[in-house]
Amino acid sequence: MSDPLVFVRAAHFAATLVVAGSAFFIVFIAEPAFRKAGNDALLRIAIRTQLAWTVWIGLALTVISGAAWLVLTASAMAQQPVAGVFSGGVLWTVLSATTFGNDWLVRSALACLLAGFFAAALSRQRIASRGIQSALLMSAAAFAGSLAWAGHAAGGIAIEATVHPLADVLHLIAAAAWVGALVPLTLLLSAVTPETASLVMARTATLRFSALGIASVATLLVSGLINTWYLAGSVPALIGTDYGRLLLVKIAVFLCMVAVAAFNLLRLTPRIVNIDNAAVALRALRQLRRNAAIEVIAGAIVLAIVGMLGTLPPAIHAAHHHPSYEAVPAGAAFQHIHTEQGMADVTVLPGRVGTAHATIRLWTEDFEPLDAKAVTFTLAPPAPGSNPATRAAAQDSDGAWQVDGIELSQPGNWTVTVDVLLGSAKHLVLEAPIVIEAKQ
Amino acid sequence: MRTLLIIVSLLFVALGAGAARAHAFLDHAAPLVGSTMAAAPHEVALWFTQNLEPAFSSVEVTDGSGARVDTGKAAISANTMRIGLKTVGAGTYRVRWHALSVDTHTTEGSFTFHVGGQ
Repeated sequence: MSDPLVFVRAAHFAATLVVAGSAFFIVFIAEPAFRKAGNDALLRIAIRTQLAWTVWIGLALTVISGAAWLVLTASAMAQQPVAGVFSGGVLWTVLSATTFGNDWLVRSALACLLAGFFAAALSRQRIASRGIQSALLMSAAAFAGSLAWAGHAAGGIAIEATVHPLADVLHLIAAAAWVGALVPLTLLLSAVTPETASLVMARTATLRFSALGIASVATLLVSGLINTWYLAGSVPALIGTDYGRLLLVKIAVFLCMVAVAAFNLLRLTPRIVNIDNAAVALRALRQLRRNAAIEVIAGAIVLAIVGMLGTLPPAIHAAHHHPSYEAVPAGAAFQHIHTEQGMADVTVLPGRVGTAHATIRLWTEDFEPLDAKAVTFTLAPPAPGSNPATRAAAQDSDGAWQVDGIELSQPGNWTVTVDVLLGSAKHLVLEAPIVIEAKQ
Repeated sequence: MRTLLIIVSLLFVALGAGAARAHAFLDHAAPLVGSTMAAAPHEVALWFTQNLEPAFSSVEVTDGSGARVDTGKAAISANTMRIGLKTVGAGTYRVRWHALSVDTHTTEGSFTFHVGGQ
């Protein structure tokens, strides 16, 4: 949680969804609602002013958080402190030569386009043309969807390289259309007065938002399932890893939001539709405004989780756990010993002269954990005639075998021997060289 | 709402084992991780589980004494890294890789292979 990238990501996602959601709201909800209410100029100006504030603050936040995200990512990519990315052309290399950087350049251009289309669409004097509205919609969808290339969806190969980003693009656009548009909806509902024009506008806005919400929730469900498939892959990975559990919390909060939305749709909307009874409709509208605010807060929680998820390794890694595919700890000596009867991954940490700790993971040839009764671990020094050290390994709760306090006396090509007792007197002996570095 | 919850539950029950992974991990290498070769290879090639960013990915090969035995800059494209080797004799060689996946995450690791009858 102390990683500033978590907060920056969450802020950028939130600002992007509100900006794109406001565009959807203007075109699909606010403008038709104004027309239905007889184009009441004062009402339209009041709502447009609120929308303009939302949009300009949102756009400013996307620029600030986007810049911070770029700097933090460049720092991580170049493995330099944050101050170091401003020199030596690091920022330009990231922008010009990486997928993330290219995505940021495209998003910067989209932010400029959006600013122009918003300025035209939110003009106080006139109603935006169909052309401006279409351009606003397309650039808003592209602005939200292009965030897919800033995260885990960008990395796939083969069919995943197409399906995962596509699902993520749809997920982001749908999130903008629902969660992002909830913010301007809440503001619009706050401006409602008991006057007929105002009530008609609120009714139209609510009905249209319901339709947009249903389509968005359906899209979020399907695209979310595809994303979950790619990033978690199995039920054990969902419940057995930090990533999976956070994803489950996100899904639970999402389902609470869907429950509130369903209550709004089934209970409150029918009361709002019946504007003959202004008092009932107004009370329902106030309830709706409160519920929309609750959904906005729940949406913010979801985005905070999204901020964290992007910085964690996806759960799929745990499901496909195999150390020789994974990062070996810095400074460790690692050897993968492969035979048809079984395999061992031996990690000696630190892999240099001194006292070290060894971890041995045993596998069958098809990467299933190998059931061993006992494991004896031997390390023989490179110098001829030296005495090898032989130790019994202890199995930990994770199934790996551990040996503490191994004395590594000299650098060079040592020989590691893992003697695995498989059953009554049945042994599997795995042997290989392992390089031990000189003392630092 | 109830229908929606039932659909969601069913979809989650339907989640079986996926077949994908994220972050660039070493999928396989030539020479194979931990393998012994009769003669030294001319290059080391590594295949990763994701596409890489060439600007921030690297690989180097060292001998038992820690001296570089690769020819310098690696050729990196899509999910593959290739690096040429100098003429080397029998011994154990360590390949250290540093990969930046296009999903912006960094991974690194190392493995050894052996040349000659060790």
